[in-house]
Amino acid sequence: MKSIKKFDAIPKLNGSWRYLDDYQYEGMINGQFLLSDFHHGKIKEIIFPEGYNLEEFTFARVSDIPGTNIVPEPVNDQPFMVDDEVMHKGQVIMGIAHPDKRLLNEFVKSIKVTHNELPAIYGMKQCLDDEANHFGKADIIDHRTDTPVDPNWIKHHNVYYTPHQEQAYLEPQGTIAIYKPDTKEMYIRVTAQCPFYVKGGIENIMGDAIENAVVESTEGLGGAFGGKEDFPSLLSGVAAILSYKSHKPVKMVLERNEDIAITTKRHPARIEITTYTDPETKKIKKLEIDYRLDAGAYQTCSTVVMSRGILHASGGYAIPDTYIIGRLFRSNTPINGAFRGFGAPQAFAGMEAHIDLIANDLDIDPYKFRKINIFHIGDEFPTTQPVMENNLEDCLDRVIVKSDYSRKVEEYRVWNETHDDKKGIGISMGYHGGGFTGNGEKNMKPKIRVTIDKDAIVRIYVSSTDMGQGAHTTLAQLFFEEIGHPREKCWVELPHTGKTPDSGPTAASRTIYIIGNLLAKTAREIKKELGFDNLEEYVKNHQDEFPKEYFRIFIPDSSVVFNDQKYIGVAYKDYSWAATVNEIVWHADTYQIELIKSWNVLDIGKVVNNKIAVGQAEGGILQGLAYGTTEYIYKPGFGRINGFTDYTLPTTLDIPEIDVEFIHTDNLVAKGLGEIPMDYPAPSIRGALHFATGVMIDEYPLIPERIFKALKEN
Amino acid sequence: MKIEFKLNKKSVMIEVDPMKRLLDVLREDFKLMGTKEGCGEGECGACTVLLGGKPITSCTANAVHAEGKEVLTTEGISEEPDGKLLIECFDETNAVQCGFCFPGFLVSAYHYLQTDGENDLEKIKTALSGNICRCTGYQKIFEAVMMACERKANGK
Repeated sequence: MKSIKKFDAIPKLNGSWRYLDDYQYEGMINGQFLLSDFHHGKIKEIIFPEGYNLEEFTFARVSDIPGTNIVPEPVNDQPFMVDDEVMHKGQVIMGIAHPDKRLLNEFVKSIKVTHNELPAIYGMKQCLDDEANHFGKADIIDHRTDTPVDPNWIKHHNVYYTPHQEQAYLEPQGTIAIYKPDTKEMYIRVTAQCPFYVKGGIENIMGDAIENAVVESTEGLGGAFGGKEDFPSLLSGVAAILSYKSHKPVKMVLERNEDIAITTKRHPARIEITTYTDPETKKIKKLEIDYRLDAGAYQTCSTVVMSRGILHASGGYAIPDTYIIGRLFRSNTPINGAFRGFGAPQAFAGMEAHIDLIANDLDIDPYKFRKINIFHIGDEFPTTQPVMENNLEDCLDRVIVKSDYSRKVEEYRVWNETHDDKKGIGISMGYHGGGFTGNGEKNMKPKIRVTIDKDAIVRIYVSSTDMGQGAHTTLAQLFFEEIGHPREKCWVELPHTGKTPDSGPTAASRTIYIIGNLLAKTAREIKKELGFDNLEEYVKNHQDEFPKEYFRIFIPDSSVVFNDQKYIGVAYKDYSWAATVNEIVWHADTYQIELIKSWNVLDIGKVVNNKIAVGQAEGGILQGLAYGTTEYIYKPGFGRINGFTDYTLPTTLDIPEIDVEFIHTDNLVAKGLGEIPMDYPAPSIRGALHFATGVMIDEYPLIPERIFKALKEN
Repeated sequence: MKIEFKLNKKSVMIEVDPMKRLLDVLREDFKLMGTKEGCGEGECGACTVLLGGKPITSCTANAVHAEGKEVLTTEGISEEPDGKLLIECFDETNAVQCGFCFPGFLVSAYHYLQTDGENDLEKIKTALSGNICRCTGYQKIFEAVMMACERKANGK
């Protein structure tokens, strides 16, 4: 739990650390997309502006693709470029390159695309309320019993909506493609979380035209949060065609408005929940959830997001009779994809809101109602996976105590009686299964490589990227702390698909949990094999044995057996747990929520680096709070947000004080941390607003206009 | 058009379109890559530099605005005593995550340290309100700047 410093902080501050747009190559030209400016239709004609010498430009059209016009995804249905029918606004029609960036931009912006308009779906409710938009496949968790509904049980039925959320990483997406005709190699340097996904994309689009695709990370990756998981494949694929045709290095960096318009977002969701609760015991007896996601125009990786979503949808509650159905819906909007939480924030937005709804109706405190229904050792998840620990309840109890919840509930009630502004306090909780769902890790077979040089420098080769979360510091730390090796002699190398084995994507809260724990195990094994107390001494005295190289493959625990068709079994070996209490002030003059204090207790198992872990938690919590209060990407009547001016990210003046505590840190396993801070906080703001004003709003974000409307209607 | 100004304490002269964005002048003509473009519309503050001693977003300023003035970027600030102090504090608190916004934060924090420097959380929040960070939740940034204020006041 040593908070060692990050190795890259100083170069990031003095400006010497290179991000994508900081790389320069001899003869490099610039690339740009021609994007559709309509939602749905068939292209009639592409009219280039007059006054330009078209010979100076390079064009990448569908007809230029030597391989396959499909971006590799769990569902292979999205083309790199439009073939004929535009399926969403902001779809790539072609790539265009020119040496002069400003001239290129002027040229592209002047191109006219005529089309035959087709009907389009682009509103969240227009998409999700209509069964006709269903893609066709449903995933079901069926944990029903034959117990009939007792007529005394109280039925609660409600529908909850959550909107798009923009990752808003500070560095826009970019790529550099360099085709090397002599070796038929396509080299890509890209802002990507998952270099091997991009390699797969290049191999698809280039087909037999190349012998090899090599993908390398940039030194700095300016945030990602899931947004740089699959889109970099599409971006790099088009850049690769431009480089292949021009025989020049091609750089493409998205402008912010383009990035917001066309890259993946968090899926909008519609979560319909029905429960039956025994009024005597206050126990929920039966639960039905209809979990719908707007996938966008294509399904791509949304099937996997939906899977995680339904596996988290019932929350931390022991409900004997549960039925959950998950479905994807289509719209004429850009595909939605990975974003920190991956379906779980939507799941808890529904279930935690519903818990508050029942508690309110039964006139019981939301904390007490959670205590009555929270699951314990001996209970089951809806997949029949046994609950193995009571750590979620420990998180809940601890956060209630440290926030002084019960006293504040009474104090704020009294305060509110005499003030126009109102104080609010709310609770929510959640969990996140570490690593890929079910058999994912088993099928992936993640690999790592470690070398030890003659000077005892350990080099770690993994495809996990450091996008700011500090992975390359903590991964190295897990290795060198295990064997007492000096920090300055242990480094994670920059991911490069030619040198790094495929350890899997930097996703699913799996970097420390899967790769990090594997590295620590490898360190122990090397120490045992060589029999040293001090590696430096050992290397010095056994120079002829070095350099030495080790490969390892991750083998999942044998308890992870999951039927991913029937959703039965162990979906995740280890869960991280969290609970929060949030305090707000609702302002009567502006209808705005002011975030005052966020109390958070998390169990992430062993904490590798406390300062890094707290920083990760704080950042994720703020994203979660903003998800619930300010951020939206599509506003009916106004259209889509297109920049940071109107996308309301929290600034230094908008944020609460954030308190983070980790419990059960004596665990030997470092569990997932990346996503859980985003999963659980938002519903507590809804609860706090209800406490303050008496209204419950079933759609994020809780903007003043919605609060005003709800109060008027109340 | 010829434009003369002081860049990181050195006098420079450049032949440039006066309407070229100051951000592009710094990155393309002077190869100072520390100043980043995050949004291109003056919202995120990743491109913050000091122009005539005041923090501005260089994506909304043009080359002409630099004429006869002094421009200080993250590269220049990191050589100054207060810049070094701030870097030390950002490093110690593990405040830096992806780092793309941090050159901008360094400039704003440096300006605060130079012009006020009181170890006051509310003042620091206001001084940094033009810079957006999506990774950190800002808490560790405040911690770092407060640490720098305290160390400067104590002469460390």
